Amino acid sequence: MVKMLVPYPENCTGCRFCEMACTIYHNGTINHADARLQVHRRNVRLDFPSVCTHCVSCGDECCVKHCPVDAIKHENGLVRVDQELCTACGECVEVCPFGVMRMEEKAFNCDLCDGHPTCVKFCPTKAIMYEEPKPEQYEKVKKLLAPEA
Amino acid sequence: MKGYTGRILKVDLTTGKTHARTFDEKYARKYLGGQGFAVEIVYHGVPKGANALGPENILAMAPGTFNGFPISTGGKTAFAAKSPATGTLAESIMGGSIGMELRHAGYDALEIVGKADSPSYIFIEDDSVEVNDAADLWGKDTRVVPETLKKLHGWDVKVACIGVAGEKLSKIACIDCDDRQAGRAGLGAVMGSKNLKAIVIRGTKDLVPADPKKLLGIAFRYQKIYEAAPSFIEDTKYGTGEFLGWINKEKGVFPTRNWQESVFAEREKIDPYWWAPRYVTKNKACFSCTKPCGKLFEVKSGKFAGVAIDGIEYETLYSLGSACGNADVESVARANELCDLLGMDTISAGVTVGFAMELMQRGIITEKEAGFKLTFDNASDAVPRMIEMMGNRRGFGDVLADGVKVAAQRIGKGSERYAIHTKGLEPPAYDVRGMKGHGLAYMTSTRGACHLRAGFYAPELVGKFWKWEGIDRFSTANKGFMVSQTENFMCVYDSIGLCKFSRGFYLIAKLPELLEAITGLAFTEDELLKIGERVHNMKGAFNAREGVTRRDWLLPPRILQDPIVDGPSKGHKISVEEMNLMLDDYMKARGWTSDGVPTPEKLSELEIS
Repeated sequence: MVKMLVPYPENCTGCRFCEMACTIYHNGTINHADARLQVHRRNVRLDFPSVCTHCVSCGDECCVKHCPVDAIKHENGLVRVDQELCTACGECVEVCPFGVMRMEEKAFNCDLCDGHPTCVKFCPTKAIMYEEPKPEQYEKVKKLLAPEA
Repeated sequence: MKGYTGRILKVDLTTGKTHARTFDEKYARKYLGGQGFAVEIVYHGVPKGANALGPENILAMAPGTFNGFPISTGGKTAFAAKSPATGTLAESIMGGSIGMELRHAGYDALEIVGKADSPSYIFIEDDSVEVNDAADLWGKDTRVVPETLKKLHGWDVKVACIGVAGEKLSKIACIDCDDRQAGRAGLGAVMGSKNLKAIVIRGTKDLVPADPKKLLGIAFRYQKIYEAAPSFIEDTKYGTGEFLGWINKEKGVFPTRNWQESVFAEREKIDPYWWAPRYVTKNKACFSCTKPCGKLFEVKSGKFAGVAIDGIEYETLYSLGSACGNADVESVARANELCDLLGMDTISAGVTVGFAMELMQRGIITEKEAGFKLTFDNASDAVPRMIEMMGNRRGFGDVLADGVKVAAQRIGKGSERYAIHTKGLEPPAYDVRGMKGHGLAYMTSTRGACHLRAGFYAPELVGKFWKWEGIDRFSTANKGFMVSQTENFMCVYDSIGLCKFSRGFYLIAKLPELLEAITGLAFTEDELLKIGERVHNMKGAFNAREGVTRRDWLLPPRILQDPIVDGPSKGHKISVEEMNLMLDDYMKARGWTSDGVPTPEKLSELEIS
């Protein structure tokens, strides 16, 4: 069974532990802007996580298709950015419907921490789970993200 | 020096000039961070006799040492200034994410001085600092302001702001961020007096811990152990009001109807065990906290339909509930929401309404003066109505808008007899007639009646804490010493940035290991407590310099003269003799003069200049 990050907005308290744990695990430093997932804190009613679904959410492969230099591949269920090929044009960041394709010197995204996602480990309220993909949960997040514009 | 950014940002609103100064390891070791930094800035920066609402006052904001790192409950930020309510150096701590963002922008503290010509907001984006026009935001509430600013600057910025009460210089005004408040002692009015509506921050810099692997390991271990604690489980289910029923019924120290009673007979209807299953739609947490004691409380129907707040906290269930005789939890929620939107401290606001209700009960004020039936039996309507008038300074609300001390001065006619406060700050939800050490703590608290400067309610109610057992809440024995020790303990928590709800878990013992993983600096427990003592002494010295000494600390008449009338603590009060005995003990334990002035020897021992 393929497992993915599944967001549960109804459980998110907005503590942002996942973002801190993510960047400290990957970089040894903390920077919310570098986290491979995002917690949105919109108002008193609305906190929710947005995670990389590795395109299982709709199969559109937006980042893969839009990359002008074919640096992004969808292999073995994971979306990966080839750091050699990436030109940091920012196209993938623009098109990702979940806003979780990130950019520093090069583009990068969630790698599921080699099968043991740190965000899931640290989430105190089961707002992010590592389990069978749940399309309805991805749709919820997409809807919540929509009014941002 | 890891963990710290090593810089403090100063913004002068009069000149518009900004300046970032650096600090070294010695400074960090001396003051630690958070409250320590904020108190140091105010202590050394505010001139003697300064007008708390004048440009010379300083509003300092400093995230605690742990803030920004993944340590559960470690996301607290301290604000400090000379308080317009008490005239003392007062700090107020919040769980909003503004402090974390300040650190990512590259600063461990923010010092705001001067006064802007017109309504303004500060926008900090890493090294760029602007003072922008806030004319369009003036008069707006604490939800509209962040929403407007986030639409303008991006959803990732953090916003701390004041409501209308702060603009109108209400001495009970608070500062809001993420629906969390730095509530006490009127720091919102200090912001308002500077024409400062909001602080907006975007930080994009890395925070660098000394030992990331070790930090992640300890953070995870502690998170898991803490999750299993019974208090963690109960607070997560019912919020901070979880122990309300116990305090009310078993201990009989839940102040009711402006402290005329100490057991709230209608308790059930405001007890979270009743309302949580009916009204809570989601759990919420402060930034960086794995224990979601915040509750999203929503009213779906009836006359208060549409109310949505992060609450209701224990203190608010008292202040806007029992203290006003209000057993309608929807009304409490609406009043809480109005306090949040208008930017008023719920404790001070509610206690002030309860005070006015007792005045009407006694015929000291009339229905005509108040404008409506401001009575305990009309609380459900009267409380939200009066809160709204206070925040906007409308009608009789203007009389009450600065808290009980000022209201009693305005009303006269012997009303001071019923005004419950110490140093001008309204008390929280613990009737200290039945917990005498906590009564001492109301007096010694540098910001006036407060449950969190010493947190002494917990040792007295539970009977044990930290290094002590068998504590008798009705006894005065050894309380002076214990309160001085727990005050130092709490100063460490407010400096390091931990929530005091976790103090029974981390104590002081677990802190050195965490501090070392973050900062690389080794501290012993004693060294940390010494910092706590230093911070408390700086506040004490500041207050003595401002002329606030022992005679200004004393308990209000109700606590000294009226014994508790009902429940398990019936018949108890704190007599003048007991008060003086505890104060004498406390001064001795502190090494202060009997007037409450830190001695030159003590200050020198603590390297305070």
